[in-house]
Amino acid sequence: MTLSQQLIERIRAEFPKYPEKRAVLLTALHFVQEEQGGWVPPELIPEIAALLEIHPIDVKEVASFYHMFHEHPVGRSHLQVCTNLSCALRGARGVVRRLEGVLGVRPGELSADGEFSVEEVQCLGSCGSAPVIQVNNEPYLENVALGDVETLVAGLRGRRLAAVGE
Amino acid sequence: MTEAGGPDEKPATVRVVIDGREIEAEPGAPLLQVALDHGIQIPHYCYHPKLSIDGSCRMCQVQIQGQKKLAIACNTPCTEGLVVDTRGDEVADARRGVMELLLVNHPLDCPICDQAGECHLQDYSFAHGSHHARTESPRRKGLKRHPIGPRVVFDQERCILCRRCVRFTQEITQTDELRVFGIGDTSHIGTLESRPLDNPYSVNVADICPVGALLSADFHHKRRVWFLDTTASVCAGCANGCNIEIGTWRNEIQRLTPRRNDAVNDTWMCDAGRLGYGFVGAADRIRAARVRIDGEQREVSLQNALDAAAEALRQVRATHGAGAIAIVGSAHLTNEECFRLAAVARDEVQTPHLDLAVPLGTSDAFLVKAEKAANARGARDMGLVPGEGGHDLAGIAAAVEAGEIRALWVVGSRDLEEVIGGERAAKVAAALEVLVVQDVQPSYLTAAATIVLPGATWAEKSGTFTNHAGRVQRIGGAVTPPEGVVVDGELFARLASALAGGAVAAFEPAQVFDQIAAGVATYAGLSHLVLGAGGRNAGAAANGEA
Ligand code: SF4
Ligand code: SF4
Ligand code: FES
Repeated sequence: MTLSQQLIERIRAEFPKYPEKRAVLLTALHFVQEEQGGWVPPELIPEIAALLEIHPIDVKEVASFYHMFHEHPVGRSHLQVCTNLSCALRGARGVVRRLEGVLGVRPGELSADGEFSVEEVQCLGSCGSAPVIQVNNEPYLENVALGDVETLVAGLRGRRLAAVGE
Repeated sequence: MTEAGGPDEKPATVRVVIDGREIEAEPGAPLLQVALDHGIQIPHYCYHPKLSIDGSCRMCQVQIQGQKKLAIACNTPCTEGLVVDTRGDEVADARRGVMELLLVNHPLDCPICDQAGECHLQDYSFAHGSHHARTESPRRKGLKRHPIGPRVVFDQERCILCRRCVRFTQEITQTDELRVFGIGDTSHIGTLESRPLDNPYSVNVADICPVGALLSADFHHKRRVWFLDTTASVCAGCANGCNIEIGTWRNEIQRLTPRRNDAVNDTWMCDAGRLGYGFVGAADRIRAARVRIDGEQREVSLQNALDAAAEALRQVRATHGAGAIAIVGSAHLTNEECFRLAAVARDEVQTPHLDLAVPLGTSDAFLVKAEKAANARGARDMGLVPGEGGHDLAGIAAAVEAGEIRALWVVGSRDLEEVIGGERAAKVAAALEVLVVQDVQPSYLTAAATIVLPGATWAEKSGTFTNHAGRVQRIGGAVTPPEGVVVDGELFARLASALAGGAVAAFEPAQVFDQIAAGVATYAGLSHLVLGAGGRNAGAAANGEA
C-alpha cells in the first residue's frame, strides 16, 4: 500500500502554509484518512513520516492521540456517539447499548458486512442538543432518543441500498 | 565558568528550608533531588536524576511557603530562601489522591510481579496510600507478558505512564522506540510494530521503570527479589568497568544490575554486559585440573597438576633455557592477580616473553568499549607486558612455530584463540612441547593442553580492575567458586612455590594491592579502603585529585 501521487501532491501543497513540514502532520492525516475510506492504515505511516521528515513513531503518536483518526477500518457509516458529560446525562450510554444490539458490533468493531461501526467520542460541542451522534462527516443528529436508533440504522441501510442500486 | 570573584558571579549556594531544616543547595538544583540528598524522602515516580524532568506523575507535590497551590518538587529549582514543607495534611492528601488514581486501573498482581519488593508503587501505597479501593468499575485490561523487545517484557496493566522509559530511549540511547500512544484512559506505552525495543542498552528501562511494567526477560519469574543477596562489583564485559550489583541466590547469579557511578556509567549498563554472566555457572565450566598422561588428559588433584606444571616448565628451562618459555596472561584477571603473575614470570619462571591476549569487539560512543575484558589497562599497569628482549603476543606465536619457544602457559585460552585465530592457535598448540592452560571454560586449547588448571571467574573474586580511563575499582566475590577451584591469584602463588620450593604465601588481594601501591607509581596512595565503593583514578592520589 502506498500513498497516491495525487495525495502526495496535495500534502506537499500544504507545506508553504507552515513554518515546518512537521506542522502539516494533522492535515496530512486527514487527507490520508479521507482517501483511505475513513482510516489511516499503519503501512502508510512510514511514508507519511518520510514526506514530513519526521520519525514514523511521531506519526503513530499523533494518529493514536486524536480520536478522529482511526487505526482500523471503519464502516461505510461510522457512527460517533458523544459520551461526555452532557450526552451521558441525557442517555448517551443507552444509545450506544442500543446501537450495539441493533448492529451486533461493539465500539471499535466493524460489522460483518463492513457497513457499520460505532465509536464513543469526546464532546462534539453540541451539549445543548445532547445526546448527539455524528455519522461520518455529516451534520449532527441531535436529541437522539433510544427509540430513534432503529429508524436511524434503517435509514442508513436504505441509503446504502439506494446508492448501490444506482 | 565565571572567573572567581567576578562581579556577576552567582552565589555558590542558596539556602532553602525543608521541614524546618536549613540546607545549602546549588542554585537551580531540583528541590526534589536536594531533599533526597539530605535524607528527606519525597515520594516520586517520573523524576530520575539522569533524565529530563517530566513532571507528569504529581507524586512529589510539596507545600511552598507563599504559594497557594502545592508545587511539584522535581520541577522546583532551589532559590534563596525557599521554605518548603513536605509533611502537612494537604501534602498527605495530595499523595493519597495521586495514589488512588494510579491504582484505579492497577491489576495489583504483586504476588506474580517481579518488581514486588522493589516497587515504588507498592512502597508508596503502604506509606502514602489509603489501603482500600473506592472504585467498583472493572479495571482496564491490557497486554500481559508482552515481548516489547527481545530482552524486555512489558505488562501494560501495571504501567503508571511516568514516561521514564520513553525519555530513556529519547535522551540516553536516542533510539526512540517507545512512546505514549492514545489519549486519556487509552494512553499506553507502545512501539511501532516494525521497531521493537531492541537497542544495546534496552534492559535499563526495566531498572528505571518504577513499577513492574517493564521487566528484564532474563530475570522474568526467576527469583523473588527479597531472596537475593547483593554484592557490589564491576562488570567484566569490557574496558568501561560499569559499576554493578551482582544479585545471587544460593551461590548462583540471578541478575546483574547497574550501580550508580557518575564517573563511569551514571546509572546504566549495556545489555551484553548485563546478560553475559552465564559462563559462571555454565554446565561445561572447567571444575577440575587435568594432566595429559600417556597421550590422554586425566583428572588429577589441583596440587598434582600444579606440581606437574612446575616440573614440565623446569624441564624445558633446563634443556632449552628460560627463554623457551612464554606466558600469555588474561585481561580478565584482577590487578592483584596480574601483579602476582608478573612476579612469577619475572622471579620464578624468569622469562621475558610475557604478554596479554585482549579480545576486541564493537564499541560505541556511550559506554561500550572495544576491549572485551575489564582489566586490559590494569594488566598492563601491573606488568603483563613483554620484559626486556621479550616477545609480544605475535612474536610469541611466531617463536613457538619457529621452535624457539617450547612451553607456553596461557591464562584465558578463548581470548588467545580469538586474538590470533583458531587456525594459528592450532598450529601453536601442535608445535609446543608443553602447553599449560588455565581457564574457566573449555576451548580448542584446553583440549590440546598438556595440563589444564581450573580458573575462577570475576564473580568469585575480590580485588580491583582498572578501566580504560585508568579508574581503579573494586570487585567483590559474589559467589564461591566450584568445589576444588581456587582463584587465579592463588594458583599463581601455589605455582610459584611449586617452581621455587618453599612455603606458599597465601594470596590476599588487599595485601597484594598494598604492594602494588608501593611498587607501581601511578597506584601510589591507593588501597582497597581508599578506593571505596566508587573507585579512584590511577595517578590521582599522586596529583592530589579525587
Ligand atoms: S512502562 Fe514503566 S517506565 Fe514506562 S511509562 Fe510505564 S511505568 Fe513508566
Ligand atoms: S559497557 Fe562494558 S563494562 Fe559497561 S555493562 Fe557493557 S560490557 Fe559491561
Ligand atoms: S516526580 Fe515530580 S511530578 Fe513526577
